[in-house]
Amino acid sequence: MRLLAGICGSFPRPPALRRAFDELEAGRIGEKEFMDILENSTREVVGLQENAGMSVTTSGLLMWHDLLRPFAVKFSGIEPRRLLRFFDNNFYYRCPAIVGRVSWNGPVTMDEVRRVKRYTTRPVKAIIPGPYTFLKLSENLFYESEDLLVDDLIKALRSEADVLGEVADFLQVDEPSLVDPELGRADRMRGIDIVNELLSRVKIPGEKVIVATYFDLDPEKYSLLLELKAGLHVDLKSRVEAAREALMEYGFDGKLLSLGVIDSRSIFPEDPREIVYRLSPILDAASPETLIFSTSSWLDYIPFNEAVRKLDALGRVLAEAEVRFG
Amino acid sequence: MSYRPPDKLKTTVVGSYPYFSEALKAFQLRKKGQRGPEYESLVKEATRRAVEDYINVGLDIIADGEQRREDMAVFFAEELGGFEISDLVRIFDNVYFRKPVIADRITWIHEIVFGDWKYASGISRGRPVKVTLTGPYTMYSWSFDKFYGDPRKAILDLAEALRKEIEALVGAGAAYIQVDEPAFSTRAEKSDLEIAEEAFEIMFEGLDNVKRITHICYGKLERLFPAILDFPIDQIDLETKNSNYKVLDLLREYSFDKELALGVVDVHSSRIEAVDEVIEGILRGLEVVRPDKLYVKPDCGLKRLSREVALAKLENMVKAAKKVREELA
Ligand SMILES: [Zn+2]
Repeated sequence: MRLLAGICGSFPRPPALRRAFDELEAGRIGEKEFMDILENSTREVVGLQENAGMSVTTSGLLMWHDLLRPFAVKFSGIEPRRLLRFFDNNFYYRCPAIVGRVSWNGPVTMDEVRRVKRYTTRPVKAIIPGPYTFLKLSENLFYESEDLLVDDLIKALRSEADVLGEVADFLQVDEPSLVDPELGRADRMRGIDIVNELLSRVKIPGEKVIVATYFDLDPEKYSLLLELKAGLHVDLKSRVEAAREALMEYGFDGKLLSLGVIDSRSIFPEDPREIVYRLSPILDAASPETLIFSTSSWLDYIPFNEAVRKLDALGRVLAEAEVRFG
Repeated sequence: MSYRPPDKLKTTVVGSYPYFSEALKAFQLRKKGQRGPEYESLVKEATRRAVEDYINVGLDIIADGEQRREDMAVFFAEELGGFEISDLVRIFDNVYFRKPVIADRITWIHEIVFGDWKYASGISRGRPVKVTLTGPYTMYSWSFDKFYGDPRKAILDLAEALRKEIEALVGAGAAYIQVDEPAFSTRAEKSDLEIAEEAFEIMFEGLDNVKRITHICYGKLERLFPAILDFPIDQIDLETKNSNYKVLDLLREYSFDKELALGVVDVHSSRIEAVDEVIEGILRGLEVVRPDKLYVKPDCGLKRLSREVALAKLENMVKAAKKVREELA
């Protein structure tokens, strides 16, 4: 079993970048100056990941206002509009209003992945929202049939996935809606079909693709997720006991599994040794070719300095695990 | 001065009122750590104006308007022992806020809302002043915990701390104590509600001569039933107008027999509900509880509305309650 570590998605914006967004909007700095700060912030966040021992890096999604925003802005036919609560978080996203035919208009986040590549030689993970979550979190004001909207979302996301496949080493497709406690089994099964449809069409091979679910997990949901034709990321922290039970009951015989072992929504100090100790029974049941230790979800829900601590803890989980299971 | 509220359809508010300029100035001083006489007199003046508005519009049970509290969780965190305030956390886009952090054992160190309640009661011309407290479950849900690592322990300590405040209030004659728990309807699972029930028992144990209230709003109110019916409380104060009184069906189903404080005007919209529209809401409430157990009030605190809109809404609400009362008599 190959052991890796990498954060699930975003990293909080470094203070300089946070300020730069406001300065840019207020017209106190120009685009050029902003891009310089973004460049520095990317280097900082990639450096933090390398120093903490991450074997897979991400851009920290520093430009993303929420999971859907870069796509809601760049794809045709979509306008980001009112703020809605993002699952059970005290975090809000702008609901994409589907106001026309959805299509891909050129790369959305490729520059961001290239920017990361300038500062690391380690594998880079690119991230896109999955079609099901995109559908569930949007408001359709245009399509007569939801199936047609799904088709176009899949096409647009596939185009993005294909260009990202040329620059990124892993592609993560974020699908928190697949485990949304508000949805029923039939919804979930349809969601899995929709995601599999996307997966069947992308050029990037299945062993490099991770479908990421977070904010919930239990045995029933997990057993359905095993139908996904790709690697899988699961959140072991939002519902600790139910998630453990899921993994222990159903195992994992796919190639790539990412385990969210560090709680990305709490700042309670982590104990890497304890985490690894508690993983033993899970790894007796689930032994993928590649195991990635990760944060349970994006790190957007805690302050920057706390995220740095989480990163450090994640690095120590990998080191402990290498001793124990490597 | 004494005031006798009507037996039926008492009108009230959830708590907060639009901030007066004095309150906004007080927030600025507070941020700089300047909580001297100037700060206190600004808060007092803002409170006085809120109380005046509440009385003049004709409410039966008023509140102090929460003019001292910029944020319902951060305020209590700043006043209780054991809390710090976090660095910036993103809430949306590039907008950030600071969140309370539980960094040590939570304790009650001094009176928190007692002074404002006392002051408001002194100028309320006999009207009862309802006390509002941010509840233990909500305080925990809206904070980071880096000390307990166990929600139950933290929530029960919060309850113990708030109990001290409640005892002081009840001892001084407070007759309506409301514990605000908006977080109940966003995340609470069954096990959370069990902890919350324990917390309410701690806060209210042995206090029978006081109206024990909880206010809950938005999200999924239906999640709370039937568990909430076992809580040691006399009155449930709900957001109902905004959700089209949907929760009333559940109350009927469970033969609800506590008091109900019914939200009849929407605080998320600046449209002024007509008197007839409010009457319609009250009548829906009366299908479920008796008029002496039905309180009439806005969905939630009024702080996000303009003062003009808040007053206009309250005015129609008071008229509507009066009309229905007359019809009942
Ligand atoms: Zn409320």
